[in-house]
Amino acid sequence: MLASLRLAAALAVVTIPATVFAADATPKVDPADAIAAIIDKHLSADWAARGVKPAAQTDDAEFVRRVYLDLIGRVPKAPETRDFIDDTNPRKRAALVEKLLTLPGHAGHFAAVTRAAWLPQTTTNFQLANAGFQFENWLRMRYRDNTPADEVVRRILTVPFTVNAQNAMNRFVQPMGNDPDNNTLVGFYQANEARAENLGSSVSRLFVGVRLECAQCHDHPFARYTREQFWEFAAFFAEMSPLPANRPSFVGPLEPQADKNRITITNTEKRVVARFFDGSSPEWSADRSPRQELAAWLTNPANPYFAQNAVNRMWAHFFGFGIQDPVDEPGDNNPPSHPQLLEDLGKAFVDAKFDNRALMRGITRSQAYQLSSKMTHPSQSDPKRFAKMSLKGLTPAQLFDSMVAATGHREPGFMRQNQFNFNQQPNNPRSAFLNRFASNEKATEANTTILQALMLMNGQFITDVTSIEKGEVLGAIVDVPGWDTKQRITALFVTTFARNPSPEELEKFTSYVDRGGATNDKKKALADVFWVLLNSPEFLFNH
Amino acid sequence: MFDSLMSRRHLLRAGAVSTTMSMSGILGKLAMAAEASKKKPKRSCILLWMNGGPSTIDMWDLKPGHENGGPYKEVNTTAPGLKISEHLPKIAMHGEQLAILRGMTTKEGDHARGTYLMRTGQLPGAAGIQYPSIGALVSKELGDPKAELPNFLSIAPQRFFAQEAFGPGFLGPVHAPLIVGENQAFNNNAQANMIDDALKVADLAKPKSIDDASAAVRLDLLREMQEDFASGRPGQMAKSHAAAYDRAIRLMQSDGSKIFDLSTEKDSLRDKYGRNLFGQGCLLARRLVEKNVPFVEVSLGNWDTHGQNFDQVKNLSTTLDAAWSSLMDDLKDRGLLETTTIVWMGEFGRTPKINQGKGRDHYPNAWSTVLAGGGIKGGQAIGKTSADGTTVEERPTTTLDMLATLCMALGIDYEKTNPSNVGRPIRIVDKPCNPITEVVA
Repeated sequence: MLASLRLAAALAVVTIPATVFAADATPKVDPADAIAAIIDKHLSADWAARGVKPAAQTDDAEFVRRVYLDLIGRVPKAPETRDFIDDTNPRKRAALVEKLLTLPGHAGHFAAVTRAAWLPQTTTNFQLANAGFQFENWLRMRYRDNTPADEVVRRILTVPFTVNAQNAMNRFVQPMGNDPDNNTLVGFYQANEARAENLGSSVSRLFVGVRLECAQCHDHPFARYTREQFWEFAAFFAEMSPLPANRPSFVGPLEPQADKNRITITNTEKRVVARFFDGSSPEWSADRSPRQELAAWLTNPANPYFAQNAVNRMWAHFFGFGIQDPVDEPGDNNPPSHPQLLEDLGKAFVDAKFDNRALMRGITRSQAYQLSSKMTHPSQSDPKRFAKMSLKGLTPAQLFDSMVAATGHREPGFMRQNQFNFNQQPNNPRSAFLNRFASNEKATEANTTILQALMLMNGQFITDVTSIEKGEVLGAIVDVPGWDTKQRITALFVTTFARNPSPEELEKFTSYVDRGGATNDKKKALADVFWVLLNSPEFLFNH
Repeated sequence: MFDSLMSRRHLLRAGAVSTTMSMSGILGKLAMAAEASKKKPKRSCILLWMNGGPSTIDMWDLKPGHENGGPYKEVNTTAPGLKISEHLPKIAMHGEQLAILRGMTTKEGDHARGTYLMRTGQLPGAAGIQYPSIGALVSKELGDPKAELPNFLSIAPQRFFAQEAFGPGFLGPVHAPLIVGENQAFNNNAQANMIDDALKVADLAKPKSIDDASAAVRLDLLREMQEDFASGRPGQMAKSHAAAYDRAIRLMQSDGSKIFDLSTEKDSLRDKYGRNLFGQGCLLARRLVEKNVPFVEVSLGNWDTHGQNFDQVKNLSTTLDAAWSSLMDDLKDRGLLETTTIVWMGEFGRTPKINQGKGRDHYPNAWSTVLAGGGIKGGQAIGKTSADGTTVEERPTTTLDMLATLCMALGIDYEKTNPSNVGRPIRIVDKPCNPITEVVA
């Protein structure tokens, strides 16, 4: 019976259109839809249980702006906004995500965001700048190819190298092997000063989601990690430190790893052997290095930490807050807002073979991601209920790229190359923005500084793009023949806010322009409006 | 508030907007806020930051007669028994103001890490806790959030190696320094006009192409957009946006901007400070302290004297001598020295042993910093290094000890905690610290 059914099914593949095949007894669910379903299920149950009334669903305008910023790091240009809003395809939101994932800007944005999270020191320490550039380029290729998240981390953790520790102040990590990527990947170790304790804390924080460094000097005050556990984890990077002198031969045969998995706790005599902080140890063998053991343990599908940390960080990228937040501070005093959601998403990510794009598709398809940021009920005020979208600040690059998209500024290619936020190039507005807006704040806590406000109000760039003579988009909007003031105002709103003005706004600004603004000059009045919109929080934040 | 908003909108809509009215609207509010913020003078701190690691063995703790000593002579200061380098003769005239900490012993000999350590009291974790710079901490404790001027000014910083060491860390951008002079910080040959321009606040002036009437209407329209947006999205971010614009506008329209125009000072005084970025920066620091700015730092670079140490240190000492002594004279003349604590330091000292290139290398084990002015019992050296300068023999002083001492001089409770970016409360100066109470007045 079963066999004949199978046969029928097999025949069906040949003869029946594929759409019907999708309704097979074991339907092949799109992993992204599965992820979206998990999110919707857990959050709606939580809202119901707590009496939370979620905010309204985004309209197309709010959605298109948000998803452009989150996926490719800039606001949509006016034609892109219009195309999307006019599109009648009922699945157009998912289709837009699909389109954006293929754009070069997507890989570029995620590479920049990931580098800033993983190697922030390379944007502030000039000595590490080049290592940071190269690492970001490597990440860009990974996001372009959608390399699975576990493979990315395995590549980083297992890159072959030797360490020259002759200069105690400045250890040098020398790549080995013929793979040119190795030259780049050792930058991760160099940026962590080639110190086992720095690597232990970075790797634990970035890829496990556990901040161990408090335990570097003393037992962790809140969580269960002890100082010894910290050093046991750091010992996986013991090869960064100079090995002790050879032991006298009479001590007996060496362990498989000799001393490469042992480290002395700073300011003590105590030596510890590498151990995972769940208490387990690898089966040490001579042909597998401690870093290989660590990578294997970390990215093993059975290890829930890795997938949950990756999911949580991705979630925080889109929502501003992690389910576990701060993303690297789990502990009894900081429980996840939705533990079961985090667990299920981790499993789904493993099922999707650590496919980053499946995760991005799933999150952007969820109801929560598509909620408006506008608060309509007091129960939405706790951001950790995800009942409305949180405001997020823009990264410096997001801000400048959005400025370019909204104003039509023509940026020479060589100026785009400036990615380092310390070394300010004269007469390069991108460089000026990256410097002035450099920040290490959480996106949902972005503050504005006086110097930033001054630059946005009075700076050369803003003055140029809001001048009728030099501003590309403004000049076009001012000069389009046959438009009335309302159409010009509307066009200014679409290019800056990706939405039409409200009737009230339209009336107010039209009236202002029609009477010639403050100086009886309609064109200048339009420039005033553009300046106001570009300085507004609605333009300067992701909402 | 809502009423006035509606009426302004109504006026706009009716086409009856009066620029004088809208000017008085926003300016009036700001002027009132500025008035309310005028209080009696508070304590201030001026940090003279020596970028690159100054050779303190050739400045504050000489070893004449020893092979590590180098060619400089010691001279007496106005404080009995206190001697410093012959290349700091004008500062020597202020000996009774100086407390020289000769027992500094710190943990870092790397520029980036040492800078972070001395300015935050902590070693940089690999992207762990974001510690605030001492300037941000003082800004938070002593600053007036409504003041016309920012509470932390950084003049000509060279943030090359450790940008975070100059930042507000977990205290947030409200306590970030307002930076001037950075674009000329590496230009040793900056001309006088370049220095004057560099010391002004970037983008402070309204573009010439925008007339006053338009500028005023723009700000009113912007305020309405800010209020509309924030009304549906309560929270810190929209507030911070509005607050930054308020403060920026206040700075543009108040006397605040005139502070940065040094051309109003007498030429003779400007000459006395030294016509270089550091000298003029110190003059600007005095002007800022006069306006109750609680923390101003002025950076002097090029101290990384691995080769030809003695020629370079002599030149740098001369620059420092003119600027710092003038600053103390000037503060004293204005009755401000008693309320202004001056701290002089770099990221570490330099090796007592002179290398083959007549240079000195990085040395954090035994070196000096200096406290002076308000809150400090001057005229003394605390701590002692060995005859060869390599080790501290008396009163070893850590970074935390020094910072806690500074806090005491400023009247700041260094045990107070701030919430950090990791949730854990962090003390202003962490344990273990043992302030040098004998130098606190």
